[in-house]
Amino acid sequence: MNRLLVLAAGFASLVSVSAAHAACTVTGSGEVSTLSNSFPALTVIADAMRECSVGAVKVTTKLTTDNVAETAQALKAAKSPYGLVALTNSTFTLAQANGQLRPITAFVAKYKTKYKIEDGMLIKSGNDVMAIAFQVNAQHLFYRKDILDSAGIAPPKTYDEVLAAAAKLKGKAGIEFPLSGTYKSGWNLGEEFVNNYLGMGGEFFKAGTAEPAFNNPLAIKTLVVMKKLLGYMSPNALALDTGASAQQLMQGQVAMANIWASRAANMDDPAQSRVVGKIAFAGAPTITPGGRPATTLWWDGFAIPKNFDGDPELAFQVMMEGLKEAVVTAHNDVAIWTRSAYKPGRFAVGTAESARAGAPPYPMVPQASLAHDALGARIGEYFAGTATAEKVLADATTDYITAAKAKGLLK
Amino acid sequence: MNTRSFLGFAGPSAAAMALLILLPLLGAAWLSVHESYVKTELKEVRTTVPLFGGLTREDVRTIPQPVRDEAGNPVLVWHFVGAGNYANLVDLDRLRKAFAGDGLEQIYRDVVSIEFWGALEFSLLYILATTPGVLLLGFAIALAVDATSKRVRGALIFASLLPFIITPVVGALSIYWLFLDNAVVNAVLQALGFGKFYFLSGALPIRALIVLYGIWHVTPFAFVVLYAGLQTLPQDAMEAAIVDGATTWQRLRYVVVPHLAPLFAFVTLIHVMDAYRVFEPVLVFGSNLYANSLQYMTYHILNSEDNYTKAAAASLLTVAGIVILLIPMLRRFAREGRAA
Repeated sequence: MNRLLVLAAGFASLVSVSAAHAACTVTGSGEVSTLSNSFPALTVIADAMRECSVGAVKVTTKLTTDNVAETAQALKAAKSPYGLVALTNSTFTLAQANGQLRPITAFVAKYKTKYKIEDGMLIKSGNDVMAIAFQVNAQHLFYRKDILDSAGIAPPKTYDEVLAAAAKLKGKAGIEFPLSGTYKSGWNLGEEFVNNYLGMGGEFFKAGTAEPAFNNPLAIKTLVVMKKLLGYMSPNALALDTGASAQQLMQGQVAMANIWASRAANMDDPAQSRVVGKIAFAGAPTITPGGRPATTLWWDGFAIPKNFDGDPELAFQVMMEGLKEAVVTAHNDVAIWTRSAYKPGRFAVGTAESARAGAPPYPMVPQASLAHDALGARIGEYFAGTATAEKVLADATTDYITAAKAKGLLK
Repeated sequence: MNTRSFLGFAGPSAAAMALLILLPLLGAAWLSVHESYVKTELKEVRTTVPLFGGLTREDVRTIPQPVRDEAGNPVLVWHFVGAGNYANLVDLDRLRKAFAGDGLEQIYRDVVSIEFWGALEFSLLYILATTPGVLLLGFAIALAVDATSKRVRGALIFASLLPFIITPVVGALSIYWLFLDNAVVNAVLQALGFGKFYFLSGALPIRALIVLYGIWHVTPFAFVVLYAGLQTLPQDAMEAAIVDGATTWQRLRYVVVPHLAPLFAFVTLIHVMDAYRVFEPVLVFGSNLYANSLQYMTYHILNSEDNYTKAAAASLLTVAGIVILLIPMLRRFAREGRAA
């Protein structure tokens, strides 16, 4: 009897989920496979896309955290097995520089009314629409409101204030290290450097070229501030990624962290968090007086590979089925959606504040990922104390030049 | 055996090896002496970047864009660079500068801060540190399992094999998770009064953890091979040793170990080849800051630098390294083969 009840309940929930999004209405026939990263928003999108698997249409979705490497390989191959790939600023820019994406301008015009496609969702290169963005993401401040309040500390707006608050909190209320961050050597550390260096007002390249320009006093100043922040983080910090950092917050070990907005909803999930309702969100701190918030805005979206051998129009429709308004309204809080139907809630505060205060988008030039990668791999040596700031910046510059020359971006 | 029947026997396997080993190697060698990229030109591009809830922001930049042919396909540049990719990896320039430094320690530090040499350093250290551990522990477990009653042996063998069955990246991740801040191991140590430990706080503890993972992961392989060897132990020799009054230790030293010697050599050979290509734990534990490996370096060049011809050069250097490492062992095998 009990088992029957569970079955019935399961069935009822299935029915109600599919009722929440109106049924899929694509026309055409054939097969569309999708490849994407794996996080909550992409899961609900993939669910909606798979509802199009009816009759002559077959939709399969692959969600993997190894998607960056797999996408690059699919785009490079003679024929892409995927009709849709999820991209983000950096991966989009590389794919675009390699000419691997199919313009979708005509499809957007044709289906604009049917799917209520908004201008705010279009990723354009010149006049061509190349991708449809569904969410934005940024690193911003997460802080323990209860701890800061009881210590009489106002939410910090600058890294100087973060450091002052950290000094005050260190060792109090069972908190050994007040700060956490995405400082894992490699991509994560590189991203935090990009955030802070741009926040300092730094430039990565000589204007209009791919010539490196990130070995300078401003970059050294950035590294010095980051090292000060590290002083208030766990000694393990250079091996902790976003997931581990979010964990530290949820376990109540730290009081402040500058981490990804996509982790905000986890903070209030009683299944993984011990601090439900105690975390508040704010824009990323500024690193220099009067500067922009030290963070970059990212978007996530879908595009159609140029080498896809199936029906691109069907792929486009499947994409829009996954990104339609009903999906957004049914899952308002899993992401910071680009659609205007999205009602920003408490988890969007940090990103919204950062954007309003002028946080720049992540640099959309293909050489940016190469510089990011070279810096991420090198600057850890300075933080670990095995090299000077001057040396790591010089090394990163040399590494970048080698990589950029091999890609034909530098002569 | 005449030439014809020799070819009849050896031909098929030689053909398979040519197809599956030689051909891909030649392909990689061919790639490794070239450079390939999409030809780009600088263009001013106006991009609209979405914010949220329908807001956007405009971004105008000079961005490298692909040059296209008449058919609209991007133009691919492909040219011969000779040893260019290899020179890039070995980085003679920085190597020379490093050797101009003062003091052995400084020179060593500067050399291993070059990606390739740092990767080579830890790959070799990993082999040196894990091999004895794998052999000793594997042998000990084989002896222990062999000494238990037949009834529980099946279950014991199965349990001992588990670490080897687990997908390496999953195994490495679980070790990483065990040693994070306030993870199980830290919590237990703290509860036992040992204080707080930070296992990921520097090169030494992280390298130790990676080595520990390596031993844990590969010991079952040594165990299962040596255990199989123990089953073929000549009983008459053992009995003779007992009659002669040999102690347990002497039996082990003069009967068991010599009998298993070829198997020890076999396990070492396979493990050295495998360990030289250590990848998963390096990927999981903080990449190239504290511990790098040749395999991780190749992966990094392929995916982050997006450079498959340089990655081909890196993988060929790895193959060359394995061959160099194996030469002494293979010569020994050949000598023993001739002696037999």
